[in-house]
Amino acid sequence: MRHYLEKRANLVRFFAARLNSSAAAEDLAQELYLKIAALPAEDEIQNPSALLYRMGSNLMLDRLRQERRAGAREGAWVAAATTRLGDEEIHDEPPADEVLAARQRLNLLLSELNTLPPRMRRAFQLHKLEGLSHVETARAMGISVSAVEKHVSGALKTLLSRLG
Amino acid sequence: MQPGRGARGFGDVYITERPWPPDGHGAMNQISDQGLDAERDAATQWLARLERPDVGEADWLAFDAWLEASPRHKLAYDQALALWSELDALAPDLAQGLVAPVQPAAGRRWMVMAGGLAAAGLVAAVAVPWQDLTAPTTTYQTAKGERKTVVLADGTRIDLNAGSRLTVHLGSRERRVEMADAEAIFDVAKDSRRPFLITAGDRTIRVVGTQFDVRRRDGRQSVVVARGVVEVRPTGDAPGRGYRLTVGQRLDHREGEVEARVGLGSPEAAFSWRTGRLVYRGEPLANVVADLNQYADRPIRVADARTADLAFSGVLAASEGSNLVRTLTLIAPVTSTETPDGLLLRAK
Repeated sequence: MRHYLEKRANLVRFFAARLNSSAAAEDLAQELYLKIAALPAEDEIQNPSALLYRMGSNLMLDRLRQERRAGAREGAWVAAATTRLGDEEIHDEPPADEVLAARQRLNLLLSELNTLPPRMRRAFQLHKLEGLSHVETARAMGISVSAVEKHVSGALKTLLSRLG
Repeated sequence: MQPGRGARGFGDVYITERPWPPDGHGAMNQISDQGLDAERDAATQWLARLERPDVGEADWLAFDAWLEASPRHKLAYDQALALWSELDALAPDLAQGLVAPVQPAAGRRWMVMAGGLAAAGLVAAVAVPWQDLTAPTTTYQTAKGERKTVVLADGTRIDLNAGSRLTVHLGSRERRVEMADAEAIFDVAKDSRRPFLITAGDRTIRVVGTQFDVRRRDGRQSVVVARGVVEVRPTGDAPGRGYRLTVGQRLDHREGEVEARVGLGSPEAAFSWRTGRLVYRGEPLANVVADLNQYADRPIRVADARTADLAFSGVLAASEGSNLVRTLTLIAPVTSTETPDGLLLRAK
């Protein structure tokens, strides 16, 4: 349990990237907590960090299987909730300053994306915005998977250092 | 939640070895963004690398070791992850914006948008003064040490923390909650025709469908978002500006003040009370004490500003009730003194 508490934050960071969702990673960590709490005393465990990882990974695979069923629904929900933000119709009293701030942020991100080198931008667009995997992006662009990875992290790095 | 769990004395108490870096308690400002370039490089590489399908145990161990090597690594990674999530949330809009081969000039785009907003404001001015007087208003309340879950008629789920009171009014045009001194997690049922508005003193939270924690204790409010997007803005004519919060963000505000602070917030910590754990990462002791007062029999107070501002990191078990203070004095540098009107905490 002590190891779990020490590692919990890092596990969430790890699975947030793997699951592409911080909320899903939080849920997973909570499930993991319940499993750990049910384990016998921990002093016999040789490598607790690796055990945490294996338990977390198994939970993640279970979760991915579940999500494949519920995934389309959730994805549609996120898209809908986001598009609505800029949609004045449902805001019977539109919070003008926030809509403005959101638009400004969107425009800022767009203009930064547009300054990226064309191939980096394309890789980022295919992978992050259109949801292709690294492999699919590589195939679509005729480049290697590791080049895709470099482009994607490069694009994020650029956005991060310019916008935070 | 889990009966039988909890009363394990020190087994449930944990204090982090070093202060947790981000979580919006000013840590962002303490570590200068200037020198983070190398860390950001590594952080974004990690994010991309962890997306590989063949990631395994060795990657986890290496990743964990990298994070533990420096709080700056954690900060850079958390920043990258926050931006990563934001990009996901905005993906449809961004994809649309990128499709156009030539971007229209910024000036023109701006004018069009400003015009649209002005028109929308006009419509709103006519539509707002609607009051739905027929819908019933219900008050929900919890006693000290009590937690309660209520499911509203629209499917929204509210988890009420101990010592909380709020009023719910489900109108046909909007759903409204008034928070007195309270903390609650809202899992709001999506209904685009009826926005969900939560008023916590001089701040109002507006959502369509999402999950988040709202806390209003002793004149301080905070909002932490776990899913979706939430807008927090001044109630009525209260001064200040509005903010739009996304996943993993936290807003802190002191009632009566104009400013609010937005930083990173851990839903894990903010939601922990629902499972009987009180999780803190660099939380001012004043906030911790406000929580403990919802569980302890006797009032707990802090002696001075220095004690109130003490950053506390650790996990407490709510089931300890009145023993919480004893536990707190064991893991935080404070002493507790019995006074006629309760317990007084003082920084050592």
